[in-house]
Amino acid sequence: MEEVPVKIFTTSHVGIARQYFFLSLAAVLLGSVLSLYMRFHLTYPQKGEITPELYLSWLTLHGTVMVFFVLTLAPSGAFGNLVLPGQLGAKEMAFPVLNAWSFWVTLLSFLVLVASFLATGGGPLSGWTAYPPLSVVGAIAGPGEGLGQTLWFVSIAIFCVAQLLGAINFIVTVTDLRAPGMTLLRMPLTCWSWFVTAVLSLLSFAVLLPAGILILMDRLVGTSFFVPGGLLVGDMVIQHEGGSPLLWQHLFWFFGHPEVYIAILPGMGLVSHLLATFARRPVPGYRAMVWSTVAIAVLGMVVWGHHMFTSGLNPYSVMAFSVLTMVIGVPSTVKTLNWIGTVWGAKLRLNAPMLYCLGFVSIFVTGGLSGLVLGQAQLDTYFHDTYFVVAHFHLIMGVAALFGIFAATHYWFPLLFGRMMNDTLGKWHFYLTFVGAYAMFLPMHFAGFAGNPRRYADFTTFTFLGQVLTLQKGITHAAFFTGAVQLLFLYNLFHSISRGVKAKQNPWESTSIEWAGEPAVAEIFRGPYELGLYGERDYRMQNEGGEE
Amino acid sequence: MPTAASDELLTGSGGPPPIDPELPFGGGGPDGEGNNPPGWQRRTSLTGIVVLMCVSVMTFGSFLSAMVIRRGLGATNWGHTPMPVLLYWNTVSLLLSSVFLDTARRILRKGKRQEFTWLWGAGTFCGMAFVAGQFVAWYQLAHQGVYATTNPSAAFFYVLTWAHAAHVVGTAIPIVMVMVWALQFRLTPKRRTTVDAAAMFWHFLDVMWIGILLLYRYWA
Repeated sequence: MEEVPVKIFTTSHVGIARQYFFLSLAAVLLGSVLSLYMRFHLTYPQKGEITPELYLSWLTLHGTVMVFFVLTLAPSGAFGNLVLPGQLGAKEMAFPVLNAWSFWVTLLSFLVLVASFLATGGGPLSGWTAYPPLSVVGAIAGPGEGLGQTLWFVSIAIFCVAQLLGAINFIVTVTDLRAPGMTLLRMPLTCWSWFVTAVLSLLSFAVLLPAGILILMDRLVGTSFFVPGGLLVGDMVIQHEGGSPLLWQHLFWFFGHPEVYIAILPGMGLVSHLLATFARRPVPGYRAMVWSTVAIAVLGMVVWGHHMFTSGLNPYSVMAFSVLTMVIGVPSTVKTLNWIGTVWGAKLRLNAPMLYCLGFVSIFVTGGLSGLVLGQAQLDTYFHDTYFVVAHFHLIMGVAALFGIFAATHYWFPLLFGRMMNDTLGKWHFYLTFVGAYAMFLPMHFAGFAGNPRRYADFTTFTFLGQVLTLQKGITHAAFFTGAVQLLFLYNLFHSISRGVKAKQNPWESTSIEWAGEPAVAEIFRGPYELGLYGERDYRMQNEGGEE
Repeated sequence: MPTAASDELLTGSGGPPPIDPELPFGGGGPDGEGNNPPGWQRRTSLTGIVVLMCVSVMTFGSFLSAMVIRRGLGATNWGHTPMPVLLYWNTVSLLLSSVFLDTARRILRKGKRQEFTWLWGAGTFCGMAFVAGQFVAWYQLAHQGVYATTNPSAAFFYVLTWAHAAHVVGTAIPIVMVMVWALQFRLTPKRRTTVDAAAMFWHFLDVMWIGILLLYRYWA
């Protein structure tokens, strides 16, 4: 593979992809270390060392960093930028300079976020959802609710701008820069998922940005969009009236639910693509996969209310949101059956990226099923504030998306750094992480059944939590085990960047043309998954003509 | 070329059968050597502007939906924002600037560069007058004691007009750049995309502004 020179202010899509990759790597390390600290403190609290407020500020930073700077950036920002132009047969993204801007604006947002936790008074306490009135009334609500919370909102607003710039770039690249012959229904499923993800980003971050502006006005100017009247905080009446905390929840979750799909859709596209490549089979029902992606996105835009079942919605709208949420099970099942159909009875090439994809399917099913439980308002009323929810979203949004990121890192490493990652280490990392992830998050469901509340800073001081304490200790041990296993991945990554085996052209015998190399041969004659053919080669790349 | 039988076989492989390469459809991006076809930057820029408009529609739509909900919460403290007459003059100024800019854009295609410079200059001037007029209108409102904190109606008025003004100022940057290029005789064919894209977005901002004006004249 050709070398891409390292340049700081680059406009090359590969360079920008590397920048996003390392930014989200830094973010995931920060988020993981925080989660280990939190797990340790939950079950082995050191007296007086950590206040509940400090715990909540860690929780806020962990959530914000993981959702925004890992799950949003890595799947689209890093791997989308890296691969999308190549798979479409274009040399670059549609707006290379805009692309660079969106990275640097993202970095600024990250720095402001980190600053918010170093601000006077400490980091904000109100979680990644920042519900008012806690997040609006200022320092009176807690130590980090002054400057820290303000900076947090500023950071998120900046992040929205960066994501909007990125989304415009992705959409225009797909609509305008496909090679001749690359019809929409010949795009690899990865391209489809990046495209749909970009549309979701466009629609949802364009709502979070104004919501952030309104809440900043509440904090800084003194308006009352989200603060109700007659509010007593710390024996003082707050000087706001008539606003609605529910309004923030609506605006936030109108962004927040699509955000879940922004994190997971690229992983779904990748899994379809890689399962076909390593099972040496065409994707059965390509069109069904495309339309299920679109259906998930459309439904994902209209189910935000299921995050608010316990917030006091009208029961009729609760019913509507609940039914729509269940309906997402249909396109998700189409996808799952399709993945199983792809690998069923096939002779699999069980290398590391393939294993991560199989792991993705497993985790997606496990995490998705608990989604069907939580989608029912009656059950959610019980589970909403328990560890059941924590288990659900960590599996489906966190671990599944991370498996997608691991698979993408192994699979596209040759495009990122021109070398291969070590497959044996990758396999060990997969198996141990897979076991660790289930060991962490499966027992959490049971803690939820037992009514273990989330957001508590310390389980040891409550008698009613005595029955789950052993379980929670086990989860903490599993977390440290899984955390340690990640060192294998880090070693593999950094070792392979400099010492990995040089990659040859199209190392995975893939059909998509990001592997075609220079000069970009960009006339498309074939569908994306012509695999498993008879003859001396069992695949045809999309740019191969008919004559041989 | 593949035989008809193999075409059929490949149909199940996840896409339509191979098409006649003589008739490339879909994409229309790079040619066979990976070079983009002539005019690709113009095409992507104009698509990009349309996508940007979608972003703005969503943004203003969120403000609007927040407004509808906030007002529905019990209109006791909603209030009423008195509209300075100046806002209507600002509207005239904005619409005039749109007419000037668009006439200029059309006349440039005919190669009449001097007329273009005059018309574009007039459009830029009217646009600046709009921004200045908005500042004066805010000042007048504040003078009457209407601040963002006065009541929700006023709060949303400031939010919407500030957001709109931010869009206008952002669009004014390329408009002024075009003006400078025109005065320096550096308006190369490549830069005409900026002319078209800026004018398109400017018209879009007209529509947004009229929407805000009507909203406050008749509802809020």
